[in-house]
Amino acid sequence: MPTVKAAKPTEDPISGFFDALAGRGHEPTFGEDSATLRFDVGDGTRIERWYLTVTGGDVSVTRQNIRADTIVRVQRSDFEAMVTGRLNVMAALLRGAIAYEGSAAPLMMFQRSLPSPPGSKGRVPPISGRAVMAQRTAT
Amino acid sequence: MSGELVQILEGNTFVVSDDRGDIEASSTDPTGLFSFDTRFLSRWVLTVDGQRLNALSTDDLAYFQTRFFLVPGTGTVYVDAKLSVIRQREVADGFHEELRFLNHEDKPVDLEIRIDMASDFADLFQVKDALKKQGSYQTRVVDGSLILEYRRETYVRETWISSSAPATVNDKGMTFSVSIPPHGEWRTELDVMASMPSPDSAAEGPTRIRGKRLVRRDMARGLEKWIQRAPRLECDWEPLRVIYRRCLTDLAALRFSTLTLPGRSLPAAGLPWFMTIFGRDSIFTSLQALPFTSELAATTLLALGERQGTRIDDFRDEDPGRILHEMRYGEMTAFEERPHSPYYGCADATPLFVVLLDEYERWTGDTKLVRHLEQSARAALRWIDEYADLQGNGYISYQRRNEETGLENQCWKDSWDSISYRNGDLPGFPRATCELQGYAYDAKVRAARLARDIWRDPSFADQLEKEAADLKRRFNREFWVKDGEYFAIALDTDGRQVDSLTSNNGHLLWSGIVDKSKARAVAKHLLGPRLFSGWGVRTLAEGDARYNPIGYHVGTVWPFDNAFIAWGLRRYGFKEEAACVAAGIMEAAEVFAGRLPEAFGGYSRAATKYPVRYPTACSPQAWSTGAPLLLLRTSLGLEPSGDNLIVDPALPNWIGHLELLDLPGRWQRVDAFGRGRVDTRKVTN
Repeated sequence: MPTVKAAKPTEDPISGFFDALAGRGHEPTFGEDSATLRFDVGDGTRIERWYLTVTGGDVSVTRQNIRADTIVRVQRSDFEAMVTGRLNVMAALLRGAIAYEGSAAPLMMFQRSLPSPPGSKGRVPPISGRAVMAQRTAT
Repeated sequence: MSGELVQILEGNTFVVSDDRGDIEASSTDPTGLFSFDTRFLSRWVLTVDGQRLNALSTDDLAYFQTRFFLVPGTGTVYVDAKLSVIRQREVADGFHEELRFLNHEDKPVDLEIRIDMASDFADLFQVKDALKKQGSYQTRVVDGSLILEYRRETYVRETWISSSAPATVNDKGMTFSVSIPPHGEWRTELDVMASMPSPDSAAEGPTRIRGKRLVRRDMARGLEKWIQRAPRLECDWEPLRVIYRRCLTDLAALRFSTLTLPGRSLPAAGLPWFMTIFGRDSIFTSLQALPFTSELAATTLLALGERQGTRIDDFRDEDPGRILHEMRYGEMTAFEERPHSPYYGCADATPLFVVLLDEYERWTGDTKLVRHLEQSARAALRWIDEYADLQGNGYISYQRRNEETGLENQCWKDSWDSISYRNGDLPGFPRATCELQGYAYDAKVRAARLARDIWRDPSFADQLEKEAADLKRRFNREFWVKDGEYFAIALDTDGRQVDSLTSNNGHLLWSGIVDKSKARAVAKHLLGPRLFSGWGVRTLAEGDARYNPIGYHVGTVWPFDNAFIAWGLRRYGFKEEAACVAAGIMEAAEVFAGRLPEAFGGYSRAATKYPVRYPTACSPQAWSTGAPLLLLRTSLGLEPSGDNLIVDPALPNWIGHLELLDLPGRWQRVDAFGRGRVDTRKVTN
């Protein structure tokens, strides 16, 4: 399957995301999963289509029509937020910001490849026992 | 409201009504039709000629079905018996209700039957905390159906209500003007459907709606098949049959399917407010149920693996490899006002995920699933070493990064005061509680077996075993409270022991991390007067400052906790002690008519005669439902060994003869027999 590595304007986070994913070739967080997703990304006037195929964790991306297990419809602004870690897929699904047709499992697989939200650091300063006790006696 | 609340459910859809079947919710009143953590009906009130009805009787036909016998007139003395109403309700992605009006007179009667209908579309979190809605409401009538709608930006929830008999429909309900002949009957069937439409109508939301009618499944037959597939129990002690039947039925009611694994089920945490995936609860319940059904464990592993953390997300307390704590589907989760999409703030589910994977394979021989989840298990093991070691001391610690809506205590004892020193002081954060280190040890030992036998990676196996041995050595030195001869509940931020005496010691036996030389002292404490109440092992020992026999995690007895303690006692060869714990909990189950509560009071058995229920809204609860199942396993000493099942019974003598027939596993089906020989009453009474 042809993968897209054509030059894209680097300011487009969506093509940047797909290029990076395809560039990695294998995505460990996909495990042994296999599926094809079609993303219909709309901006109010036109729809851009992306296809992501995963075969045993190996990734390829194309813009050419192929059969998909899951079709995801999403607005460009929401999808940009997703691929830059600013919008959580499950929250977006629950609030109707994205819709899908077909099997739900590939969508769950896809969201594992999305980056951390900007600003998440993974550590916070410790809290002393004295501070915990002071807070409890205050409330 | 009159009388007791009535609950029925299917999956994560449930109805809570009064004993007439009516729903009159206020913003904080927990009645209604709920689905996907959202209230789809907050008003459903039946009247006849403007009069409310009176309940003669209410029968729970099955967990998903109730029948109400009603008569007009709300007076307590005078009941007009010339008309009776049978209202039967069944839950399935909404509910189906059949109404029958019987005229007992020998002349015709004209009636105006009315059902008031409305919905506030509250999120369960809003019901709990009485929070305000931000969206707008709309109602419309389409082809005789009433559609209630709530909309906030792209978030849309709808309730579709239709009737088989013609009705006059307005935006507040349906009216039926009927004439019933002498000794005749009038009936209608109503469908109430919970809908989560997507903004793009081509795609279908999570609820399964076909046309205007509710899709009803043959749930009665499904339940019967579920019970038939389970091993058969024969026993001289009659209450045990009742307990066993109750457990199987409640476990069936607690089954929950995810969108990604349709047709498969895992155990949700509890009814009705916790009908969702919880990492910890789903894993513990799956472990308890393994000898009886392995399907729950397989689905739990797959569902948790699919949702395993892959990134650093401080709002959700997510890390790569971390197993989720809780998933929710309501409006506040959708708008990221709550982190449950899913929330990961839980420190034990990740090692327990590996423990369950190994235990599942030991029972079923399903190496295919173990290979399928190899990457997930490796990521979980990496989480233990890289992301959970917050203090760089080789122990799992927890500290929330979401300080507004995250969980402070990320172990099973998750209330604010559950982790304390003897003198009642609370430690700082991060906290390294002891059972987490036991689970990590067990996860490494079990993963080493999987790596060697199934993943074919002997050097990884060697590495895991070396790490486990090192962890065990350090743990037995640094957590052992010398002057008390037990393990501290935690180490604080200075590496100092949080030195209260707790039931967590039993989980340590279960994990295998306890040095053999220390096991007898631990067992003595578990059955000793400070921890053992006569009914079971208390969460916190009498004599420690925060001990309170009705304190949630500081003195009550938890049946699930005790089942794992019994398993731990057996692991170290304390068969009679395990039988005593099983005896106390089984006798408590008898008092509770087979359905154990989440927790009961830690009062001494001699003082109260009966176990005192801890007031909690959730019943049945999954891991309490699973407790008798695990206690049956420990009492019969069931242990897989290669392709054989070892049976080594140690039963209370008053149980008499016990048989479990057709136990499923890699041995196909085998029977287990035991006879009660342990005199447990000298300890429990």
